[in-house]
Amino acid sequence: MMQIYRVALREYLENVKTKGFWIGILLFPGMLWMLIELPQFLEERGIPTRHVVIIDRSEDLGEIARQRITLLNRKKVLTSLQTHISKATAELREQMMEDQEIDTGQLLDQLEKGLEQLSRSDVEINPFSPNQLVKLGDLIPEQMLLNDVQWAQFKKLALSQLPADAPPFTEPDLRFREVPLIDDVSLQNSNEEIEEQLKPYLRGDKLYKNGDEEIELFAMVIIPANALDRDHDVRFWSSNLADTDLLDAILAALSEEARDREYSRRGIASDVVAEIASLRVRAENFDPNKEEGDERVGIRDKIRQYVPIGFVYMLWIAIFSISQMLLNNTIEEKSNRIIEVLLSSLSTNQLLMGKVLGVAAVGVTMQFAWIGSLIGILNLKAGPSATWVADLIAAVITPELLLGFVFYFIAGYFFYAFLFAGIGSICNTIKEAQNFMGPLMLLMMVPLATMTFIPNEPNGTIATTLSWIPFWTPFVMMNRMAASPPEFEIYGTAVVLLVSVGLVFLLSARIFRIGVLRTGQPPKLLELLGWLKSRTP
Amino acid sequence: MSSPIELRNVTKTFGDFRAVDDVSFTVPAGTVCGFLGPNGAGKTTCIRMMLDILRPTSGSISILGTPRALDVRERIGYLPEEKGLYKKMTATALIAYFSMLKGVAPAVAKKTARELLERYGLGDFQNHKCEALSKGMGQKVQVLASIAHDPDLVILDEPFSGLDPVNQGVMEEVIRDIRARGKTVLFSTHVMSHAERICERIVVIAAGRIVFDGSVEKARSLLPTIVRVRGTGAEAALAGLAEVTEALPSSDGREGVLELRLREGANPQELLKIAFEQGVALEVFEVVDPNLHEVFVHLVGEKAREAAFR
Repeated sequence: MMQIYRVALREYLENVKTKGFWIGILLFPGMLWMLIELPQFLEERGIPTRHVVIIDRSEDLGEIARQRITLLNRKKVLTSLQTHISKATAELREQMMEDQEIDTGQLLDQLEKGLEQLSRSDVEINPFSPNQLVKLGDLIPEQMLLNDVQWAQFKKLALSQLPADAPPFTEPDLRFREVPLIDDVSLQNSNEEIEEQLKPYLRGDKLYKNGDEEIELFAMVIIPANALDRDHDVRFWSSNLADTDLLDAILAALSEEARDREYSRRGIASDVVAEIASLRVRAENFDPNKEEGDERVGIRDKIRQYVPIGFVYMLWIAIFSISQMLLNNTIEEKSNRIIEVLLSSLSTNQLLMGKVLGVAAVGVTMQFAWIGSLIGILNLKAGPSATWVADLIAAVITPELLLGFVFYFIAGYFFYAFLFAGIGSICNTIKEAQNFMGPLMLLMMVPLATMTFIPNEPNGTIATTLSWIPFWTPFVMMNRMAASPPEFEIYGTAVVLLVSVGLVFLLSARIFRIGVLRTGQPPKLLELLGWLKSRTP
Repeated sequence: MSSPIELRNVTKTFGDFRAVDDVSFTVPAGTVCGFLGPNGAGKTTCIRMMLDILRPTSGSISILGTPRALDVRERIGYLPEEKGLYKKMTATALIAYFSMLKGVAPAVAKKTARELLERYGLGDFQNHKCEALSKGMGQKVQVLASIAHDPDLVILDEPFSGLDPVNQGVMEEVIRDIRARGKTVLFSTHVMSHAERICERIVVIAAGRIVFDGSVEKARSLLPTIVRVRGTGAEAALAGLAEVTEALPSSDGREGVLELRLREGANPQELLKIAFEQGVALEVFEVVDPNLHEVFVHLVGEKAREAAFR
């Protein structure tokens, strides 16, 4: 026992000291941070103002396009205004919550009620970003955004509500800005001529002149005189094929205009159309598994359905990365011939057990660090309101889910760890190991591939079948946890998994015992089978 | 008290290959025993069986009175043939780790590790990572790791390989120190001069079989004593004697020196006496004891060559 502990302790300390471990630990929160920060960062600073030339051959369609550009610009300002207000009032809101002694349960209920109401209006809801459940921009009517006076008043009003010590608000750069044609290109020229003349600017070969400043030209839009007719297309020139926001917005505005005109031509009032179009049939979700009177499926239940996916991801990454560590370690000991000294001090089983336990401890440390940093980042990001973010997590992660995670982590880890250690023991270099790893990797890819569709049919044939195969039991069962699979399957697959773990241990210990002392070529498959049969090393 | 190492009719086969064939020998307590043999003779296989890393196909082994070396592992020190260290561990930590695996308490293990490094000239490298040590230093660290728990029986597989002459000297010193504390040492080598200097006993194995087991003196006596003489009339007086089996010009290249191989058990003093009686004016009279190197080549030469071409 003492021997196993010593081996495990050394394995743990040595792994914790490696760069790989710390990269692993820091990578996850780093990526999480990026995931949260990047979109906002890109929205605020990432995309520079894009300059566009609009050639308007029609009477009034150009104006409609320009209005849409203004709308896009002001919505961007609104978004950053919202962030600014949220940051500036964070303390205030926290104080309010404390004063009113609102507890998280109430808050969740309120949130649910609010979401319910919102879902009955035509506002888009994003249940995964509770901080931005509703974009402010969607609540303010377009007429107000387009009216310069009202827009200025609105901004002033919004900012005047902030506490006195709030930092000043700086407006972000415009998203799109129209620039006039340069002097040597005349509007009198034909479209083809203008296109030819502007191509070097659109390709980025030349900088475009706008008054005194030199800018990069993002796009040129040519709106033909009869753009609203079916067979006259808007011509959109740009080297950037990825950013279609501008074109989409202009097309949407023109299409709207086309419809409006068609409605009035046929004598239909357009507001009647809008009213009819807004008609929606809604549904309420019920879950027969829930207790009577409480069967309505709320936002919590929906999130809960997806939580296992997160767990499966974590399980997979953890098992995969720490099994790799074990493989590398075994190969190092083997190629260094340290293994012989070790084997004069302890039995192969003790060595195998010690290594697997030590590396498991590394994995657990990593998991704790990840969960800790997840909560930490949420706290930091969501600001003072984080208590309810953390509580939201607590509300959707049930004890069964956690228990399942712990069980499947341990069982799954041991299953793969013994396999990897066995492989490591018969290989002298990582390169040799790769031959054996190929098939194993393919096996490990299966749960990743099925992960997204299993929640759709958690008790279907595929999910049930995969659950019984020990290679995938931990992942697939974890995936199905939220859908309360039949008890028979939970316990049955657990027994199969545990038995398989024992079996893999015995087989690996045997291969390990012979393999670690072997040098030269890795054994052929037939030879391996021979080892499994032999009793003495 | 039983001997620390006892092998009785031990055979080990790997598939069709007989690596060790009916080997029996014992090493008495408190001796330094050289385990000699050419490459591929079965030395390492024997040692691994003694340590219970491999099990014999047939025959029995007793180590410190028990058949399972793992049961007495805290009393055994082992240096394997192929040397390797954990690259990222410091010298002190590594020595301490291995002796902790042998059951030494952590604090004691660390203290002993420092003392040992100090004593054998590695005091300055206590906190260096093993990857920063030279090959020779690394090997010393590993030897120290194998004896840090003060074992009663030390088994060293090729401890001298890869060491420069100075460090070979240190290695010999380590072995003598262990013996001075009354412990038993078995070490394998194919370099005879070390065995000659520090062993009381040698066991020679070739192609899996024991070809010699006994004291260094007994080994030497396997080869005829050689007497080198120069002097007027020496050849006429001595070459034809019954004690002399062969008379050849000396192999050391000196002008006029004659090399006489004596019959087994013959006394060189007899030759000297006869030379005086015959009135030979001796300029050179040297008795050359065969060294172990020659004994070794004599014992295993044919088999080693066979093995090399197998």
